[in-house]
Amino acid sequence: MDALVPLVFLVPLASALLTLTALQGLHRDSARISIVGAFATFLCASSLLGLALAGHTSDEIRFGTTWGVLLFDPLSSLMAFVVSGISLIVHVYSRRYMAEERGYATFFVLLDLMTAALLLMVTAGDLITLLIAWHLIGVLLYFLLGQDSTSHTAHRYAAWTLLTYRFGDLLLLLAAALLYHAFGTWSLHGIFEQVADAPDVRTLFGLPLVETVAGLVALSAFARSAQFLLHIWLPYTMSGPTPVSALMHAGIVNAGGFLINRFAPLFVHTDGVLHWIFVVGLVTAVIGSVLMLAQNDIKKALGYSTMGQMGFMIMECGVGAFSLAVYHLIAHGLFKGTLFLGAGGVISEAREDDGVPKDDLYTFVVERRSARQRQPWLLMAAVTLVVPVTILVLAHWLVAEDFFQKQGAVVLLFFGWVTGAQLIFSTYRMRTENIWRLMGMILFSFTIVVLGYTFISHAFDVFLYPDEAFRSQIYAAAGIDIFWFDTLVILMSLVVVFGWLVTYYTEQNGRRWKGALSTLWHGFYTLVSREFFVINAYARLSGFLVAAATRLNVLLRWS
Amino acid sequence: MTLLGYLVVALFLPLFPISMLFNRLYARVGTLRARVFLLLVWPQLGLLVLAELPGQPPTWVVHWAVVTACFYAFRAVALRDLTLWIAYMATSAWSLLWAMALFAPGDMLLVLQALAFSAPFVLLAWLASRIELLFGAAYAGTCGGLGQTAPRLSVLLVFSILAAVGTPLFPGFFALLATTANLLPVLPGAALVMLTAWFLWAWAGAQMTRGLVVGPAADEPKPDLGLAATLPPGVLLAVLAVAGVTSLGYLT
Repeated sequence: MDALVPLVFLVPLASALLTLTALQGLHRDSARISIVGAFATFLCASSLLGLALAGHTSDEIRFGTTWGVLLFDPLSSLMAFVVSGISLIVHVYSRRYMAEERGYATFFVLLDLMTAALLLMVTAGDLITLLIAWHLIGVLLYFLLGQDSTSHTAHRYAAWTLLTYRFGDLLLLLAAALLYHAFGTWSLHGIFEQVADAPDVRTLFGLPLVETVAGLVALSAFARSAQFLLHIWLPYTMSGPTPVSALMHAGIVNAGGFLINRFAPLFVHTDGVLHWIFVVGLVTAVIGSVLMLAQNDIKKALGYSTMGQMGFMIMECGVGAFSLAVYHLIAHGLFKGTLFLGAGGVISEAREDDGVPKDDLYTFVVERRSARQRQPWLLMAAVTLVVPVTILVLAHWLVAEDFFQKQGAVVLLFFGWVTGAQLIFSTYRMRTENIWRLMGMILFSFTIVVLGYTFISHAFDVFLYPDEAFRSQIYAAAGIDIFWFDTLVILMSLVVVFGWLVTYYTEQNGRRWKGALSTLWHGFYTLVSREFFVINAYARLSGFLVAAATRLNVLLRWS
Repeated sequence: MTLLGYLVVALFLPLFPISMLFNRLYARVGTLRARVFLLLVWPQLGLLVLAELPGQPPTWVVHWAVVTACFYAFRAVALRDLTLWIAYMATSAWSLLWAMALFAPGDMLLVLQALAFSAPFVLLAWLASRIELLFGAAYAGTCGGLGQTAPRLSVLLVFSILAAVGTPLFPGFFALLATTANLLPVLPGAALVMLTAWFLWAWAGAQMTRGLVVGPAADEPKPDLGLAATLPPGVLLAVLAVAGVTSLGYLT
């Protein structure tokens, strides 16, 4: 195992060097070298995950005295498996997709280096190694997004990404410096041990160390995972190659969730930080989803969809469901990667059939087929509410009798319910000829979603954090007063019920809003269609700063 | 006497407004050799004088130095001329040597650090002279598209800029990391200003890269660097990265 852990990031590094060496003479073969490297990396990562599943104890592999520590634990092995798997798929896909592009071999070198950096990040066992990987990911992403060196637009938004990432990098660096100052070591293991022994240490200006560092780590994660106000780079970086978008949305952007999980031993000693994380995640999830719905550009819609999902993931961390966030980032990575990699196929299909639904009257009169129906409103609303309750009762019966009393378990179920409700809202809008078949599919999907959240995340919890006491500690750190918890659950239930009522009202009255409501609606729509003017604010600010710098230069006669 | 000594050091480890002298001088000097000489020797002279002064630099000087670093990094964001950019960024980097001097375990390490800071600028000065030969001026925006026209030259340019703005694995990254860790508990305000300067370096670097490398190829084909000309600077960058990984003994 000692050899396997470094191999996980050394293999893609070697692959990058080999591809670089072959760059001069070989064109297509450079991709083959890279793919073989990606496959070997995936094998190494799979073996690591196998060892972790077999119950091998966590271990550190040291290459230096001060830094250069690699970590083998359930989190690193699982993340290495996911990263290398997605990287392999992207490699194979890119071989033909990028064939006509300039800088074909360079692209594979960058892809290998990015894989190596991501794997170094997930296996880093000390702060310096983590910082190096964290910084390098931003730099490599800049070059991957700017693969087309003729496109000023691609580079403009790649630079925005770089700067957002650099902002997050420096916050993480600040957190690392505070930890080093307090404990005199860069080792994550050493730091977490000392934090557990003395969680009440104070730092600069008498601030509580754990809360300050956790806040900085969270901010760094927000920059990486495109949380609101640090999100602009994500929807605007679609000029990069499709495989890069797939890798970015499926792997890189998820790093925020990983970082919070990596610092879980620190977060369990915080008081209130996780609540702020929850609020930021919630705001991001809502704004990301709203902006996604308002887009008429499919790629930007996908970007905002990722933003919403990242908000969801961060929100999960905020309620203490750390392992659920890992499950979420894997699931989201797979489905978003599939969407991006399937984009070419969708475009090709759209050339054959535009996919615009035919008018019901046309279908009935000309095609002589029965008109497609929409599912009964009341039934769909009832399913939204009944299935989670049934599963809660089942979980009470199957998993633990005190299931109702465990805030963590209810949190998991709650997320399953919210996701399931979203799913039902989406499918309700569909029209079908065979309503019973669609109903069956909806019921099945909803059950899978709720079950998935409840049971699969429980399995992730047990795997990633085998110590039950630690698991309880995480939920305790995120726990809120039972009154507020119940209020929140009731509020969310009311939001879902309100959603169904609005759907019913719209169905009955069409989309006609009257009077003040109409003005309010149009104002809101303007705000949303301009993406809350956040991008304009940033553009203004950067323009102002550059103009100020130019004036200073002129004033000081360029010296 | 000590004050006079610090004034002399402030000329070579630039503190604003004395720093303006170096920038004027660098812009005036026309030959590559003279520019390389300036870039290599200027901070070393400062360190030489600083070593002769008793005690450590006072904290107000360190504050002044980090503000100078931030000031020049900010001004570099708006620059389009690569030669001026080199001078501003070098000024910004060298002024941080004041803060590093507070914690460096030995004078030799500081000398090596100053060299590691200067090396990417030396490379950039050489590349700027090549671009001037090709286009008449090394000016972002007007001679863009180097990525298409001269790929080898642009690869070297990009890596040199990365080294100059403190990207891992180059020594600047490790030096700044160690300095932040040491400076933060003593002078937290100065550490935060230094981090701001670091952020602005990245911005300035991205602006310059975009202006020079990105864009369609030039109408007339321009000769790229040959393999023989690419190799020595490439090796120098690799040596810098190795020096960075070994951290020059900073992170202990």
